[in-house]
Amino acid sequence: MELFVRGLSHRYGDLLVLDSIDLDVREGEILVVIGPSGCGKSTLLGILGGIVPHGGEAVRIAGEPPPGCLNPVSFVFQDFSLLPWRSVEDNVGLVLEHQRMPTGERRERVEDCLRRMGLLEFRKALPKQLSGGMRQRVGIARALATRPAILLLDEPLSALDAQTRDLLMEDFLDLWKRDRTTAVYVTHNLNEALRLADRVVVLTRRPGRIRDIVKVGLPREDRAGAAGQAFLAEVHDRLWELIKAEARIADREIVDA
Amino acid sequence: MNPRTRQFYGALGVGRRAVLALALGLGALSALPAPASAQGEKVTVAVLPLSSSAPIFIAHKRGYFSQEGLNAELRSFSAAQQVPVAVTSGDADFGITGLTAGFYNLAAKGTVKIVAAQSREEPGYQLSAYLATKAAYDAGFTTPAQFKGKRVATTTAGSTFHYMFGLLAEKYGFSTKDIQMVPLQDVPKMVAAFKGGQVEGMIAPVTVARQLEAEGSARILGWVGDVTPWQLGALFTSPETIRTRRATVEKFVRAYQRGAADYNNAFNVKDTTGQPGKGPGYDELLAIIAEATKQKPELVAVSLPFIDPQGRLLVDDVVRQTKFWQAEGQVDKALDPLSTVDLSFVNGHLLTQK
Amino acid sequence: MPDTTEAPRPMTRPAPQPAAQAPASASRPVRFRGGGFVAEPRRWAALLAFVIAIAAWEASGRLRLVSPLFLPPPSAILLALQGLVADGSLARNLAASLMRIGVGWTLGTAAGVLVGFAMGIWSIARAIGLPAVSALFPIPKIALLPLFILWLGIGEASKFATIGLGVFFPTVIATYSAVDGVPRNLIRMGQSFNMPWLDVLRKVVLPGAMPGILAGFRISASIALILVVSAEMIGADYGIGAFVLNAGNLMLTDQLLAGVLVLSLLGLAIGTALSLLEKTLLKWR
Repeated sequence: MELFVRGLSHRYGDLLVLDSIDLDVREGEILVVIGPSGCGKSTLLGILGGIVPHGGEAVRIAGEPPPGCLNPVSFVFQDFSLLPWRSVEDNVGLVLEHQRMPTGERRERVEDCLRRMGLLEFRKALPKQLSGGMRQRVGIARALATRPAILLLDEPLSALDAQTRDLLMEDFLDLWKRDRTTAVYVTHNLNEALRLADRVVVLTRRPGRIRDIVKVGLPREDRAGAAGQAFLAEVHDRLWELIKAEARIADREIVDA
Repeated sequence: MNPRTRQFYGALGVGRRAVLALALGLGALSALPAPASAQGEKVTVAVLPLSSSAPIFIAHKRGYFSQEGLNAELRSFSAAQQVPVAVTSGDADFGITGLTAGFYNLAAKGTVKIVAAQSREEPGYQLSAYLATKAAYDAGFTTPAQFKGKRVATTTAGSTFHYMFGLLAEKYGFSTKDIQMVPLQDVPKMVAAFKGGQVEGMIAPVTVARQLEAEGSARILGWVGDVTPWQLGALFTSPETIRTRRATVEKFVRAYQRGAADYNNAFNVKDTTGQPGKGPGYDELLAIIAEATKQKPELVAVSLPFIDPQGRLLVDDVVRQTKFWQAEGQVDKALDPLSTVDLSFVNGHLLTQK
Repeated sequence: MPDTTEAPRPMTRPAPQPAAQAPASASRPVRFRGGGFVAEPRRWAALLAFVIAIAAWEASGRLRLVSPLFLPPPSAILLALQGLVADGSLARNLAASLMRIGVGWTLGTAAGVLVGFAMGIWSIARAIGLPAVSALFPIPKIALLPLFILWLGIGEASKFATIGLGVFFPTVIATYSAVDGVPRNLIRMGQSFNMPWLDVLRKVVLPGAMPGILAGFRISASIALILVVSAEMIGADYGIGAFVLNAGNLMLTDQLLAGVLVLSLLGLAIGTALSLLEKTLLKWR
């Protein structure tokens, strides 16, 4: 499925956080949104997913959901948002409980998702018993259990340490290759953007406007090699130039505020 | 230091007072104004701010204590139960209040002893009224004798109300078990239960009774003084004080008797037609009592109890009280009724008129 | 310090010293200077202090340092308690009080949880409820007893009301705060997966608020115990509170303290039961 954003502006009270955003999210792509802290990245994602209130009709969705889809637009959250009183399998099962489906099928779906995220042996564990990386795997498994048409990932790796981040990123890519689910991925980490993105949307500091959209014109499987690295270094520098100035000013503004 | 803090620090002083104050949670105390002359041997008196302690207030104000060489300090308490406790704990040398089962339990422990009379229920004096609710009265509950089988409001087991029902039962040949007494802790709650029709009757102080009757929610069936006269209250001290400071007790009782005599001269007089009249010092004494009880003189004037002019006790009733509480299981059976009184300070104690 | 990890100059590192050999003579051992300020379990200390306190209490009575009227020794209290057990009055009093606490607490708590939930969920309920709770909570329930008697009579209803009302307000506050404290992101998560409103309430808000609600139970159970004495001021023939009141009126201090002991044991039992409940319900914490 696809998302279209036309002329999206958003305010918190008097504060303009997003200004005239035009954006298309195309079928089967990973669109990464980067920008300095407080530029409204997460707000944009919340509006796309319908959990941040937005009066207008600036966001539209099109296309047919894939078979078995129970929640066309599903989130993966920065803080994992797991229910601490539910076990791993019950956290994943939570999003299916209110859907009409036979118990057996529900169990199968949960099991399948757990297996794909390498969580099967921890199915009975409580969130507090898991590492941060494992918890986010649960978060991803939960989103996948609804067979979404569009995945919205809100800085999914930023609460994790660097190694876990790399590992989970690889696993996510492996997983993604199977279904090629359309994804909008918000981050402030350039490496994540370069590793995952088809296109990178660079937002300005507040109010968030689209500064540029940079296409990463290299297939993901070619990005790991030496040639790929050299290519990505160039894109990296370009992106860095785009956000460096913004980030510096945004930083000062935070001090001033 | 204000009186309250002084007493607070007093209570913090070592020993029994502190323990008692903590263990029993003594209510807040407040001292009455200091006497005109602050000379002489210091004695403290625990009182309730009620007309029944009038001789103390009069003796205090008129300087009878200081004329005996005593510097009396009055400490006012809010509940009858606290007065003998104050004497027991040593916070007061003397106490004067109504007699309850709690008092006799302290007497059984040897901490208090009666030396003179306070007020008593006496024929012709309207101190406590038998009340029936309007509904019960209309249904035929019209005489005190009919309290048998009724549901009544009282404060607590062991209270003066309890004893008055005991006397009533004895007089009309039934038992306290024939009256269903509902303990409600205090008079306001008794009034609430009475007004709400939760009980059929009660015994109430004259002011409450008059007000309820005026409101139309109660009918007065009679007066306790007319039906069962008894020794309502007493002046007491500790056996320890009697033993070690006998002369002080004698002086105190003498001053108290002068106050009681003044009281009777002023209030307990009949004019030529037999109606209550005004004796010498009427207005002055009324003002003294009004000040001590923080009530309007008019209100005080209509609810003055009978107090024996010489502080003489109805000795047989004191004995009967002890035996009654023992029979009710409220007081230790080992208590010798006569050990609760020391009759040597007042001459010519009395017996109940039959 | 030259010999830390500086990757570009690995060859400049000096050869490692033999471990056993002490360096220059001027060196000295590093002393441990931490420690303390740590809560470590010392069960015996509490027990010992308790035993000493009881022994000193008993001794002060035996040695006549304190009159038994003022502070009955533990033995006298136990004797009084034994008397209560023997003549069956303890069981009768306890049964009456437990029934009142049970019914009053259940009613007050149920109402309090419902109102607290409403205030946590709906802004309008919160706008009405918060000032109302602030205004009504501090009213001493004992002052209302005469009104309760007029409204509800002197039977069990007014006793239930005394306890129930006393329990109601703290429960409202605890529940409201607990619901308010459920992380909003968990609720948004539920909504982002299209969970129906009632499911969000049942599966996210209720369990999320449970720790706070249970903490409220702990407080309200103590309040119920305190208020049973007030409640039994209203025409109670039996009940631990009525017994304590009566003993106080009659100056029977050993009986009084025996009643108080029963009340505090009751508090201990209820506290233990609640701890067990917390352990089962809040395993996930």
